[in-house]
Amino acid sequence: MTTLLWLQTGSCGGDTMSILCADSPSVEELVDQYGIEFLWQPSLSAEPKKHLDTVLDAILEDRLALDILCVEGSIMTGPNGSGMYDPYRGRSKMSLIRQLAEKAGYLVAMGTCAAYGGVHAAPPNPTDCLGLQFDKQAPGGLLPVDWRSRRGLPVVNISGCPAHPNAMTKTLAMLAAGLPLELDHLNRPKAFFNTMVHQGCTRTEYHEYDVEDELFGGKGCMFFNLGCKGPVTMAICNSELWNGRGSKTRAGVPCFGCTSPDFPSDHDLFRTEKIGPIPVNLPLGVERANYMAYKSLAHEAAPERVLNKTMDP
Amino acid sequence: MSRRTIQIEMNRVEGDLDFQLEMEDNIVVDARCIGTLYRGFEQIMLGRKPTDALVITPRICGICGTAQLNAAVLALEHAGRIAVPPNAVRIRNLCLMAETVQSDLRQSFLFFTADFCHPKYLSRPFYDKALAAFQPFKGSVHRGALENSRHIVEIVALFGGQWPHSSYMLPGGVTTPANSRHIIDSLSILNKLTRWFEQTVIGTDLDVWLDLQSAEQFFAWLTEKPAHDESATGLLTQISREIGLQYLGFGTPHMLSYGAYDDPRYAGTFTQHKQRLFKAGFLNGETGIVEAFDQAKITEHVRYAWFQPYPGGLHPFQGQTVPDYQPHSDRYTWCKAPRYQDKVVQTGPLADALIDGEPLIRSLYQAEGGNAWLRQFARLRRTAKLLRTMRDTLHELSADLDEPHMLPPATKDIPDGEGFGLVTAARGGLGHWLQIADGAISRYQVVTPTAWNASPKDSAGRHGHWESSLIGMRVDDPDDPVEIGHIIRSHDPCLVCTVHILDSGKRLTLWP
Ligand code: SF4
Ligand code: SF4
Repeated sequence: MTTLLWLQTGSCGGDTMSILCADSPSVEELVDQYGIEFLWQPSLSAEPKKHLDTVLDAILEDRLALDILCVEGSIMTGPNGSGMYDPYRGRSKMSLIRQLAEKAGYLVAMGTCAAYGGVHAAPPNPTDCLGLQFDKQAPGGLLPVDWRSRRGLPVVNISGCPAHPNAMTKTLAMLAAGLPLELDHLNRPKAFFNTMVHQGCTRTEYHEYDVEDELFGGKGCMFFNLGCKGPVTMAICNSELWNGRGSKTRAGVPCFGCTSPDFPSDHDLFRTEKIGPIPVNLPLGVERANYMAYKSLAHEAAPERVLNKTMDP
Repeated sequence: MSRRTIQIEMNRVEGDLDFQLEMEDNIVVDARCIGTLYRGFEQIMLGRKPTDALVITPRICGICGTAQLNAAVLALEHAGRIAVPPNAVRIRNLCLMAETVQSDLRQSFLFFTADFCHPKYLSRPFYDKALAAFQPFKGSVHRGALENSRHIVEIVALFGGQWPHSSYMLPGGVTTPANSRHIIDSLSILNKLTRWFEQTVIGTDLDVWLDLQSAEQFFAWLTEKPAHDESATGLLTQISREIGLQYLGFGTPHMLSYGAYDDPRYAGTFTQHKQRLFKAGFLNGETGIVEAFDQAKITEHVRYAWFQPYPGGLHPFQGQTVPDYQPHSDRYTWCKAPRYQDKVVQTGPLADALIDGEPLIRSLYQAEGGNAWLRQFARLRRTAKLLRTMRDTLHELSADLDEPHMLPPATKDIPDGEGFGLVTAARGGLGHWLQIADGAISRYQVVTPTAWNASPKDSAGRHGHWESSLIGMRVDDPDDPVEIGHIIRSHDPCLVCTVHILDSGKRLTLWP
């Protein structure tokens, strides 16, 4: 039996809606097959809300072991550091989470808001949001950099806006099954954050030959002109499809890099910033000079079918 | 006479929702619907590129992001006088309908019917049936709803890449055309859901069900065959009526609908007022007449909300959203008080059906009024309608697969000016109003469906719809006021853009 408590802080509920869409494993499977007991989940619990208080008291008084604490939403510290933009029973959720974190076997940030601050922390950050252990890119959020949960991990960041359904359920299943969880430099499980969105995008045929779209609604690559962050974003969107069916880039929507700490960026989200004809941010780890040489060669080599965009994405 | 204050907190709603009720001898004499979560979306939008609204505003709500996206894109298209081709409208409609079906199934069978398993009803004859059908994670209908609500949004993923939160509607159309694979995939998703809906939710054929036109026909149908009264809708109806939900939860008689789903036949040229498949209007509860809808008659008040005060109400184009948190004043919420023609209105599936003239819902309304059961029933009635409309939409799409899915706007940037986008989300009328100056957003105001329903008092001291639907009501056990849960949940509360808590009086909790 693995006990799990899910709290919502400043959120849109999208990670809860997203996890309901998980199919491998599904939420029911977490309960039936992985022995996860939801002590509380705001949308799924049938118990009275009073039950939440009983549970919280029991955890805080060490009468009930809390194996996994999931937090969905930004940690709001405003107004004036009080946290009262997001209160619970007359106190801030911020302080409640701080207390509960000390009791949790693992603390999991569900979504970019809980991980790094997310959309609510976009400028001017009206509610003074942070993530659990990051403040945007900067290490250290609600909890200090060297904080570790009872089982010895930092906050596990399943980032994404919302987090990918199966990345959430698989992480929970791994924790429940006692499988090792290796994290990257942003404390995201490598199993889901060691793949670029660009890998597996069905438009890479166009990217490869430098055939770029200027307008939306086409078949080409969206990297040079339309804001796609697929080549700089770690996420499984194109290797484990959303809702079993698609991904943004497959549907012709640029990747906005929603798993990254700086999501949402504050310049035009549908444009790519460029120096001359080449994007400012190149595919992860690529040298500018090499990239330019490769691109002009690639365009030369492009077959007709790609130049004429006859291939479906 | 004993007077006391009780505090009610609800789960199984989107976001947190609290009520503070004044009770006198088990009668609710005053009610405050409280929203304390403030997120500041309208401030985040300021200074951004107008099209950024297509990425930021869907994140207002995890359960209706497609509707938020649609409101944002319509507002941009309004500002830029941009037309979209018929197929774009069809694809948008299809995805909006899929999102609404998802929401209505989850609201009905994950959130609403779970209350029938409350121990209060243990000795009632329906109790065992309620458990078998509606018990979370165990009941057959609960599990079926989990499964099927998950599948229907795959249609959004086919066209938009993912659900929730995608940005595939852009000024001028949608990012991807429908191809024959999408059509077959969508039909197969829809077929499976329709089969489950027929077998489990209505116990009959979709067409037979939709042919029911009057209260008499409906009640005759209910007892006609075991499959009917044993269906989820049959069970929901009987239990609701046995516990008296047809006598409760009326609230304001005024109703508002923006109309739903742009009519593709009128797409192609820009029009200020959209022709819609389901009609817009204002049902004046005093006269019973459906009047033409005019967005200019919408205002928002902040007298009892934590925003910098201004007198009276302001239209969203003049709207101000400056937070001013004053927990120890007579102001009590982060929700503004929207009014139409200065009247308190409700919005949602019941309002939509009545204003559109849906015969069965009208007939039931004439017989018993806009009660809690009918509100919930109207939602499931809508699911049936949408399943049929989705099928029609797919057939229309497949007849015209080569037609364009996007008409690139004449100018790359949305020009300075203003625009609004009005849509019907699962919970009712949703509106975005934006102004653009020097190429950047200078004002953005969102009025959510829940803002209409969960509204606090306005500057004239008039209670919002939920508040007024509770006032005067009798609560058997103020320490466990199940009735309130039924009534509020029949409105499908979605509080992520609003609501939480206050600290006074005795705190009581709603089960479940
Ligand atoms: S659209 Fe984006 S993810 Fe796809 S190939 Fe181009 S850059 Fe890569
Ligand atoms: S494709 Fe990019 S923006 Fe879309 S969900 Fe994946 S990481 Fe986020």
